[in-house]
Amino acid sequence: MSVRVALRSAAIAIVIAGCALATRESTPVASPAWTSHVIPEARGEIRVAPDGTRTAVRYKGWTARDFGAFRTYAYDDARPEPPVQKATMPANVVGDPKAGRALFLNRQKGPCTGCHLVPGADVWPAGGVGPDLSTLGDRKLPDSYLYQQLWDPRVIFPATVMPPWGAQRIFTPEEIVHLVAYLQTLHGPPPTDSDPDHNPFTRRRSTGFGDNLDPTNNPAVIRAEEARALWSARGPKGKACADCHANGPERAMRGVAARYPRVVAEYGRVTSLEDFLTVHAEATTGRALPSESDENVDLTVMIKMASNGLPVAIDTTSPAARAAIERGRATFFRRVGERNHACADCHTPDRGANKFLGGRFLGDVTAGLTRHLPTWRTDRNEIWDMRKRFQWCMTPLGANMLAADAVEYAELELFLTTFDVGKPINAPGIRH
Amino acid sequence: MAGDIGKIRIRVPSSAKAGDVIRVRCLVIHPMERIERDAQGKIVDRNYNYITRVTATYLGKPVAVFDLTQSVSENPAFSFALKATAPGPVTVTFVDTHGGKYESRADIAFA
Amino acid sequence: MAESITRRSALGTLGVVGVTLAAGALGTPATARAQASPQALGLQETVQDGLKRVFGGRPMKDGSALIKLEIPPIAENGAVVPVNVEVNAPMTPASYVKTIWIVADKNRIPIVARATLTPDAGQAFVGTHIRLGETTDVRAVVEQSDGTLLTAKREVKVTVGGCGG
Repeated sequence: MSVRVALRSAAIAIVIAGCALATRESTPVASPAWTSHVIPEARGEIRVAPDGTRTAVRYKGWTARDFGAFRTYAYDDARPEPPVQKATMPANVVGDPKAGRALFLNRQKGPCTGCHLVPGADVWPAGGVGPDLSTLGDRKLPDSYLYQQLWDPRVIFPATVMPPWGAQRIFTPEEIVHLVAYLQTLHGPPPTDSDPDHNPFTRRRSTGFGDNLDPTNNPAVIRAEEARALWSARGPKGKACADCHANGPERAMRGVAARYPRVVAEYGRVTSLEDFLTVHAEATTGRALPSESDENVDLTVMIKMASNGLPVAIDTTSPAARAAIERGRATFFRRVGERNHACADCHTPDRGANKFLGGRFLGDVTAGLTRHLPTWRTDRNEIWDMRKRFQWCMTPLGANMLAADAVEYAELELFLTTFDVGKPINAPGIRH
Repeated sequence: MAGDIGKIRIRVPSSAKAGDVIRVRCLVIHPMERIERDAQGKIVDRNYNYITRVTATYLGKPVAVFDLTQSVSENPAFSFALKATAPGPVTVTFVDTHGGKYESRADIAFA
Repeated sequence: MAESITRRSALGTLGVVGVTLAAGALGTPATARAQASPQALGLQETVQDGLKRVFGGRPMKDGSALIKLEIPPIAENGAVVPVNVEVNAPMTPASYVKTIWIVADKNRIPIVARATLTPDAGQAFVGTHIRLGETTDVRAVVEQSDGTLLTAKREVKVTVGGCGG
């Protein structure tokens, strides 16, 4: 925590020195007593080179881009949402529909096809979060209207989930003119599509990866089985988990995971199982189990498996829990990052949930999204806990991630877990 | 995960009887390294580590041999059938391009 | 998989036999080029070249009535795509399915895997997890003990990330 605050102060110093941005930051809120134990790549740190170049420290293979200019989920980040911007279409640019189509499909940009269907066999896989634009040109909307919609749609639809592409400088004014020119070429009748999978509104859902508890199907189960050795291994203090928690992890830990995340009075904050291990294991055995280390995640899977089949039974009624859930709810609806998105934009049923974003079917928070975590990710060949999933989500949003054990994430995870109450735990999951 | 390379799990039915055709499934932790390319798109020339052969035996006799390429997934799983004739071991052996050889065994029990 | 399956190998008792690094193998490391030698199962080639290399000009019959090729029609990522092949054909010493190839047309290495079976298998069934670089046809090519070649194929659509996740 202190590292992050210090880094944020450094960021403020740089901003002031460079007079680059008119950001306002409130005095950081005093953090609860918590000693952060997180592997270096999961701390959300920013490195500043002697020449002033800033790079974000993230996991291997993740972008190193610093999104410091955009607001984050940090409770002490008091920057407001980007202001709503009216825009006038530049008169001196001639729109090129071909260039516009290329921009529409460009995966380095939106891609616009992540949310909108347009004609073309090369449009794959289009999403259905936003309206099908296949015949938009028939609506004879003025160019200036479409330009504004792309520049900052909040002028027209205040509650939209569409990012303010121009206001946030993700597309340039010229590029938006080309996009408008392309959209105006889209006339009906809509192309007859013999392939239902091409259209996100008729596409079949993936059938998934089979039995998540079968070790010959889900490598995370093997990892959890191997973690038994860690359970019995003595730490520097001469103690092992097994010394205090008798009868093996399956019986000793039965039901434990069903109560997490929870407010732990000793640490004055909400902790997930993973968070708790980072401090508890070190306090009792002397063994460091930093957040996002393989050992921490593997033990978490093992402990959570001991509660498989039991209903989630977190505390949602104590005053401390209720206050934390409310803060988590506020985070869920808070817009952050370059794209000015909230978690809710993709994961509530009245917005993006249960629709395709590109080729991915978006989960619905009200169905409960935490019971299968930590989960095996087949595309990464890694186990991801909820925190790494949060950190990953920050990257496409264009927001710097917080430390994996940040209290903001803990309270967000607590809020999400309220939707799982009463439903059976089934970990580790297996997902794409 | 590097320390887990070569860890194997095999699943066989909990019991069988003579004449049953049963299915066996196994998974091995292995990176199955893919061909890498440099910035110019040229293949990085090195000894990629991937499993080239999986040999499954039952009662000491081979029932299935898989020859593999880098188009097979990381931590690959393999399934095959065998005709149960007597209680006894199923073994699966994996050989990779770095000289690694990993083997595990499961027993077919008769009810 | 059958739900009754519970027994599995006890890793601790047998487990890893050991990483046997033969000195000879270490002394002459196979490079990427050497791995792609003509003896290799899979090469970076087109599927047409691959099929020609492996099967020559041998006739290949439509086996779609006999070959059950199980593969998801939509794969959320191409890194792990489960594929099962089952052939409805005898498995006796007199007549059996000798070899099953799995081929992914648009992969850089289209010849993905080859399974060689014996009559002791009792059933011509194999499964594995394959990588698919993009949306492609996946074929099973089956060789019976009398030399007959059968083939069946199915398309798998590989989707890519939403916003990067």
